[in-house]
Amino acid sequence: MMAVNFEHFSYAYPNSGVVLDDITLDIPVGSFTVITGPSGAGKTSLALAITGVVPHYFGGRQGGAVQIGGITSAQSSMGELAEQVGTVLADYESQLVALTVAEEVAFGLETSGFNRSQIAERVSQALMLVGLAGLEEREVAGLSGGQKQRLAIAAVLVTAPDILVLDEPASALDPEGAAGIYELLHTLNCQGKTVVVVEHQLARVLPYASQVVVLQAGSLQFAGDLRQTLAFMWQQPELRLGVPPMWAIKLTLEEQTGLSLGDWKTEEQAATELNKLTRTCAEGVAKSA
Amino acid sequence: MPKLAPLTKLILTAAVSVWALLIPTLTGQMALAAGQLLLLAFYRPTGKHWQAVSGLALFAALLAAIQYVFGSGLEFSLMSGLKMFVMSLVFVFMLATTRLQDLTAALVSQCRIPYEYAFMFTSALRFVPDFLEESQAVREAQACRGYVFRGNPLKRLMDYVAIVEPLVLRAVSRSETMAMSLELRGFGRKGRRQFTADVALSSPDYVAMIFMLVLTIGLAIV
Repeated sequence: MMAVNFEHFSYAYPNSGVVLDDITLDIPVGSFTVITGPSGAGKTSLALAITGVVPHYFGGRQGGAVQIGGITSAQSSMGELAEQVGTVLADYESQLVALTVAEEVAFGLETSGFNRSQIAERVSQALMLVGLAGLEEREVAGLSGGQKQRLAIAAVLVTAPDILVLDEPASALDPEGAAGIYELLHTLNCQGKTVVVVEHQLARVLPYASQVVVLQAGSLQFAGDLRQTLAFMWQQPELRLGVPPMWAIKLTLEEQTGLSLGDWKTEEQAATELNKLTRTCAEGVAKSA
Repeated sequence: MPKLAPLTKLILTAAVSVWALLIPTLTGQMALAAGQLLLLAFYRPTGKHWQAVSGLALFAALLAAIQYVFGSGLEFSLMSGLKMFVMSLVFVFMLATTRLQDLTAALVSQCRIPYEYAFMFTSALRFVPDFLEESQAVREAQACRGYVFRGNPLKRLMDYVAIVEPLVLRAVSRSETMAMSLELRGFGRKGRRQFTADVALSSPDYVAMIFMLVLTIGLAIV
């Protein structure tokens, strides 16, 4: 079953050329999909097409269709789509509009007309989920970057959307903050949410990604699981730099030795396999000696 | 001290202004100012609020002094200064004792002000710290590129363009993102909006309102 389905989707912003060209792509329910590619490839536009911002907010020209949970996005309003899709934009700080943490999370529920007890319950659950419980009365301006990012996620989670779309969620965070955000997204993914993230640093999503989508100059270059996609990117000189260093080592080793190594999702996995390989080599050398 | 609803405090600000206009004597104005200070003290405001009160008092004294220097009588000058002090002091009381969110909720749900206007007010306040932070960042960035903010006021004003320009561009971009995110959170959705803030009136509010009504009528008759 598909959460999002692009059918020959093309899009151009007003007074600009085509930014997305004939995209046909399926995002399965419960997947952790990563959209990647060089700058200006159309990653953000593709993510915004899932949320309905493209074309509803910007206008412009569209061809083909995007279906969100069976609903055609062009025939629904952004508000209707927001019931299914929660969005955290790249500039998440501008997305936070209330004075305190609890009010920020409650904002979407207040707009939807939930009663006070429902709002209080949902706000507390959402804050618990993102690890901000106890900070309800804290001023938004006083939060750290990572906490603000978590708050933006809580603010969209509170309306219980099935799909989460995040545009470079860790771009302004330190390595620990980025890892924390992706662990949180992984937890939400394990709870059944479909997660779609735009990310150009694939090293961050190696342990979590179930599907990686590669865009280049507005066209879909490849979509597949982590191994297939990274192998594809390794073959393309213009995409090779996007391959995480750990996988660059793995793919080089495979090229040089003809061995088939496992999927290195973590540094521990890579270390274990490399240790095994070194031991085998050492044993081989010892035997031949 | 009983907790008064934001609506009661809003009505009080209007009532105090009317009383300040109706009270003809210096003693009466002083009593009104003392009453407000006493009320403010009951709510235990912070040092910041007392600073605001001191600033207002200083400004009122200056106003009275200027009036006196330019030929008005002593009583008239003191009356003007006191009236200004009394009318502004009530705003300090309201802002010191009411959360802005509660004020917004009262304005929308009880005074029927469109939510968009009230939201503009609170969101502008939300972005003040961010704006100051950005201003500092831009100032530092421009300083790194050789801008020196020294010299006569005209030169400093001209130099300030180098800060204002990127700040304005950033503010425009930020407002665009904010508008988009508000759409995504159903901001423009029709239907009744619920507020988490509890701004309902209780018995102390009704008592306070009756007192305000009686005092206003009394002052108008006398």
